[in-house]
Amino acid sequence: MRRAYKYAVLTAMIVSTLALALAASAGGLGYALPFPAVRNLAYWYLRTTYNPFMPKFTASAPEAVTAIVWDYRGLDTLFETSVFFLAIIASMALMRGIEVRAPESINLSKYGMSAIVKTVTRITVAIILAASASIALHGQLTPGGGFQGGATAAVAPLVIIVIFSLYFAVGSGIKKKSMLTLRTLGLLGIGVTSFAVIVAGLILGKAAYVFQNQPKEAAPIGLPSHILGVPMGGTLLLFNIFEFLAVAAGFTIVFLLLSVPEESVRKVLEGGEGHD
Amino acid sequence: MISPETLVFGVLAALGLISMVATFMAVLERDLLKAVLFSAVQSTAYAFMFYILMAPDILLVYVPVAVGLYPAVILFLIKKTERFEGGEEE
Repeated sequence: MRRAYKYAVLTAMIVSTLALALAASAGGLGYALPFPAVRNLAYWYLRTTYNPFMPKFTASAPEAVTAIVWDYRGLDTLFETSVFFLAIIASMALMRGIEVRAPESINLSKYGMSAIVKTVTRITVAIILAASASIALHGQLTPGGGFQGGATAAVAPLVIIVIFSLYFAVGSGIKKKSMLTLRTLGLLGIGVTSFAVIVAGLILGKAAYVFQNQPKEAAPIGLPSHILGVPMGGTLLLFNIFEFLAVAAGFTIVFLLLSVPEESVRKVLEGGEGHD
Repeated sequence: MISPETLVFGVLAALGLISMVATFMAVLERDLLKAVLFSAVQSTAYAFMFYILMAPDILLVYVPVAVGLYPAVILFLIKKTERFEGGEEE
């Protein structure tokens, strides 16, 4: 009876989804495209994102999405990054007092999965890290960017923790403190980059804006748009690198804290304030 | 003869249906481990849809988060709590 009810609900959902899709594709929702006034904004972004003939307006990055995320709408992304950082800080505050460390005199080969899985993982971790670095460092040229690369890179320590055990990860340098240092370094870098042009302007005696990338009308100063003939997007490359560090290290901290065995930290979790 | 446009929309519709069914199964499944797998099937269908809709930036962040990081968090939580959802009998 219950099973029949389940399948009846599922069939009804499939039928209604198909009916909605058919109605929408037959023009049941009115205009399929946004109004032309909305599309002007998209035209403007696409025309100026990499346009050497409009040097006062271009972001000098062929990748429009990265240009919008870190140049046209840079402050939005800055606050998104701070929200993410606050979430990491909150989870670390919840698990304060927990030390992620391997016990003394431990035989690492007894932990984790079989030798076959470990060997395959050694290869895939290298591939994951290379792919994530290419996603982040080519962020101003091809689809991708700091957050995408950082999220991809965070899969590598996760795989190491699951396949090799937490103690191997801690022993090979994936520690809470070093990850927090990387994370802070990334955020500091983002902060410094957003003020880089204004500081340069102060030194050179020219007007500049916070979060400025390329020279603008009243602020004729900016970071180099090309290095060795390759479009670097000025601040976009730096933002991508630092965001990559911050995101990858932030996710890794959460996984380190989540994978600590419950027994070893029960005392800390039950001990009220959690100090000592 | 089917036009390429119709083919693309057909693939999109099929992926949408797969994701809908997978979500339905994930919600109803008592075994939380299987529910995570159904959720991953839904994420995979969405990833292909993002690719077809020409949003590679979203795809690149969606694949590691929805197929790697998110199931991992849920699996850690299942390991720390219970694998089977309690409640009334069938």
